[in-house]
Amino acid sequence: MDAAADVSTSTKEAKESESSIDLLVIVLDTNPSQRIVRQNPQNLTQILEAMIAFGNAHLMQKAQNKLAVISCSHHASNFLYPLPGRQVEVRQIDGQYEVFSQVEKTIKQQLGNILMNAPRLSAPCESLLAGSIGRALCYISRLQRNTPPGIKMHSRVLVLTGSNECSSQYMTFMNVFFTAQKLGIVIDTCSLENPVSLLQQGCDITSGQFLKVTQLDGLLQYLLWVFLPSPQMRHKLVLPPPPKVDYRASCFCHRELIDIGYVCSVCLSVFCKYSPICTTCHTVFKAPAALPPKGKKKKKTEK
Amino acid sequence: MADTKSGRYANSNATSGPSGSSSSTPPNISQLVQGPANLECKDFQEYLRTRQTPETLEKLYNYPPICLAVYRDLPEIARQFIIRILFVDQPVPQAVVSSWGAQRCAKEQQEATSCLTSLNVWRVTAIPGGLAAWELSPTFKKSVRQILLGGGKPWPMTNTLEKDSKPRDIAFLDSYAMSRWRCVLHYMVGTGNRNGTDAEAISPDAVRILLHANLMKRDERDGITITRQGFQFLLLDTRAQVWHFMMQYLDTCEERGISLPECLSMLFQLSFSTLGRDYSSEGMSHQMLAFLQHLREFGLVFQRKRKEGRFYPTRLALNVTSKESADATTAIVTMSASEEEERMQDRGYIVVETNYRVYAYTDSPLQVAVLGLFTELLYRFPNLVVGVLTRDSVRQALRGGITAEQIISYLEQYAHPNMKLVESAINSKSCLPPTVVDQIKLWEMERNRFTYTEGVVYNQFLSTTDFVTLRDYAQSIQVLVWQNEKTRTMVVQKNGHDDVKRYWKKYSKSAG
Repeated sequence: MDAAADVSTSTKEAKESESSIDLLVIVLDTNPSQRIVRQNPQNLTQILEAMIAFGNAHLMQKAQNKLAVISCSHHASNFLYPLPGRQVEVRQIDGQYEVFSQVEKTIKQQLGNILMNAPRLSAPCESLLAGSIGRALCYISRLQRNTPPGIKMHSRVLVLTGSNECSSQYMTFMNVFFTAQKLGIVIDTCSLENPVSLLQQGCDITSGQFLKVTQLDGLLQYLLWVFLPSPQMRHKLVLPPPPKVDYRASCFCHRELIDIGYVCSVCLSVFCKYSPICTTCHTVFKAPAALPPKGKKKKKTEK
Repeated sequence: MADTKSGRYANSNATSGPSGSSSSTPPNISQLVQGPANLECKDFQEYLRTRQTPETLEKLYNYPPICLAVYRDLPEIARQFIIRILFVDQPVPQAVVSSWGAQRCAKEQQEATSCLTSLNVWRVTAIPGGLAAWELSPTFKKSVRQILLGGGKPWPMTNTLEKDSKPRDIAFLDSYAMSRWRCVLHYMVGTGNRNGTDAEAISPDAVRILLHANLMKRDERDGITITRQGFQFLLLDTRAQVWHFMMQYLDTCEERGISLPECLSMLFQLSFSTLGRDYSSEGMSHQMLAFLQHLREFGLVFQRKRKEGRFYPTRLALNVTSKESADATTAIVTMSASEEEERMQDRGYIVVETNYRVYAYTDSPLQVAVLGLFTELLYRFPNLVVGVLTRDSVRQALRGGITAEQIISYLEQYAHPNMKLVESAINSKSCLPPTVVDQIKLWEMERNRFTYTEGVVYNQFLSTTDFVTLRDYAQSIQVLVWQNEKTRTMVVQKNGHDDVKRYWKKYSKSAG
C-alpha cells in the first residue's frame, strides 16, 4: 500500500514538473571595466557564446521552457532577449533548431547595438547588477500574472558576472534578495573572478547556487553542470556544497563591509561610526550616557 | 488401500474467487481481469522501444528533429546526464555517472539509465583498466550537438520563401485545424453523415487508418461503425488523439511505400516549427508531398492549394509528443489577454457541481454524444445540455471499457474556465468537486471486488481425514486459496500444486 502510494506521488510529481513552465532569466554583466574583459576583450565573446549555448540548452529541456536575457553594464541594463513586440523572423541557415538560432541572432545583434552606443568610460565603475536583477524580478512577476489559471510557473535568475564587490548598492541588493525570497524565485550566481560576498548572501537567502569559476575555458561545462538542473531537480543530483557565506553588512555611511558597527534602533540602518541623527530615517538619538566622564557629572550635580 | 486413488485432483486451470464455486475454465484469465480490450495509448518512448530495433533506432537518430523529440521525451535525470556528457569525447565510467545522482534517488536514476540504454542513446563500452563505461551513440551525439550549436545542413522545409501576400494569422489557423480535426471525429460518431454536408466527408485513406486502428469497424448491416476503442478515443484530449492517430498512420505508411524515418522526421519538424509562420515544400520527394497532403486533410498543416509550395503548420502539429497539453502555455508571452480569453472560452464548456449535475454549454452533437457516454442527459436547450452523473450511467460507461480516469480527465480537460477559478480548484490539482471525483473512482472500484487467482481444484476425497490432512498441509505452506469441508473440496494456488501433489502421493503411499 505504501509502495503504491509512493509511486503515485512520484508520478504525480513528474507529471507536474512536465506541465509547469520553467522560466530562466540570465543577467549578463557586460561592463567593460571587469578585469577579465580588460585583460582580453576576446573573453567577453567567449562568455557570450557559452551563455547562449547554456540558454539554448535550457530551452531544449522542455517545450514549455522560457528564456530571457538581460545585459547589465555600468550605465544601463537592457533586454537582449526576448524583444518586445513581434520577434525578428530568422530562417534556418544550418542544422541548428530555428528557435535556438533566433535566440543566438537576437542576443548578438542586440548586444552589438548596445556596446556600439555605450558612452565611453573614463574610469572603471561598478555594474548596476542590483538594478538588473530587479528588472528581472519585474519581468518574472509580469509573466507570472499572465499565466493562465491551473498552470504553474517556476522562475529563477542566473547572474553571470566578473565584477568586483558592489557594496555601494548594498540596500538595493538586499531589497532585491528579500523580494525574490518572498516570491519564491531562486537567484543563482556564476562569478567569473571574485568571490562576491553580497551575491553569495543573495544565493544563500534564496537557496540558489553560488559558483566561482576557476577556468574560463570550461565555462559552458560549469554552467551546464551546476545551473542547468532546475531547483526542483537539484536535490536529486550531487552539486557543489554551498561555500561559507560572509554575512557582513556594509555600512550606510562609507559603503564598507564591517564586522561591528552601530545600528539605528528605528530603521536598522548600519553605521560604522556613531552619528547623533540617523541619515536614513532622521531619528535623533540621545547622546550615549556612558561617554561623559564621571567626575564632571558629579560636579555638575553638586552645583 | 482402496482409498489410495481417492483424492483425485482436477488438473485444470480453474479460477476461484473468495466466493468461488466455479471450477469451469475461462479461456484467458488476463482478459477477464482487464475487461474488454482497451484502447492502447503509447507514448513516444514506448513506441520506439516496442517497434524499433537498435539498428533502426540508429537510422532514426540521423534525423536531428527525431533526436530532439527523443531528448525531450527522456526522464529529467536522463536529460541532465546526456547534456553532461554531450561535450565529452571519451566514454565516461559508469561509476562516475552513478555518482552524479543523490543517493536517495537511486531508484529514479536506475530507471533513467535503463531508459537510455533501451533507447540505444548510450551503450556500454569497456575503457582501459577494465571499467565499464557509457558512450553516447555517435549519431545521436552529432545530431543533438547540431541542434544546439548549429552546423550541418538546414532542415528540408526551411527554404527561404518570398513573403506571403496574404499571410494567415494564428486565430485563422486554429479554427481551420479544429474544423478539420472535428471532421474526423464527427465522421466517427456518424453525425457528419446525418447532416449530409459534403464538407464533412473524409477521404478513403483516413477511413482506412480508422479501421486499421480498430477505432471503427466494418459491419455487414450498418456499414462502418464506431468501436468501443473508438469511444475511448473520443474521450482523449485532442493532443493525445492526434498522437494516437498519427502513430496508427505511421504503422500503415510502410505499406504505402513511404519511408518511416522520413515521415517521423517530418512530423517532428512540424512539431518544432513556429506557429503562424510559413514553410516551403520545395524539394520534397513525391512521397513526402503525399504525406503532406494527408497532414493537410487532418488539419495538421494549412495549405491554400494542393500545388502551392507553401504551408503553415497548425497548433495540432505542435509539440505532438508532450504528454501534457502545452499549448495553453506556449503562447503566454506573445498572446494578448483577450485572445487568451477567447481560446479559453472555446475549450472549456462543462460545469460539474457537487450534486453530480453536469451543465455543458455546447451545441455540438459530438460533444453531446461523448457526454452521453457517461451521464444521464436530462434537458437539452439550444446552447446548454444538462445531465447528471449517476451510478448507473457511470457503470454503463465502465462496462463499455471506459475507465474512471478517462471520465475524470475528460471532465477536467473541458472544465469551464470559471471552474478553474473556484477557490478549492486553485488549492487542489483538480478543478472538479472532490466528492464527484472520489465517487466516480469508487464506482469503478466497486466493479473490481474480485481478485483472480489461478488455481487447481482438489475434490472427491474419500474420507474427511484425507481431506483435513491435505488441507492443513496446504495451509501450512500458504498455498490454500479456498476450502469447504462439507463437500471436501479445496483449491490450491497453481504454484503450490506440485508440492501438494507430492505430499499427497507420499501420504497415500504411507497410508497404503
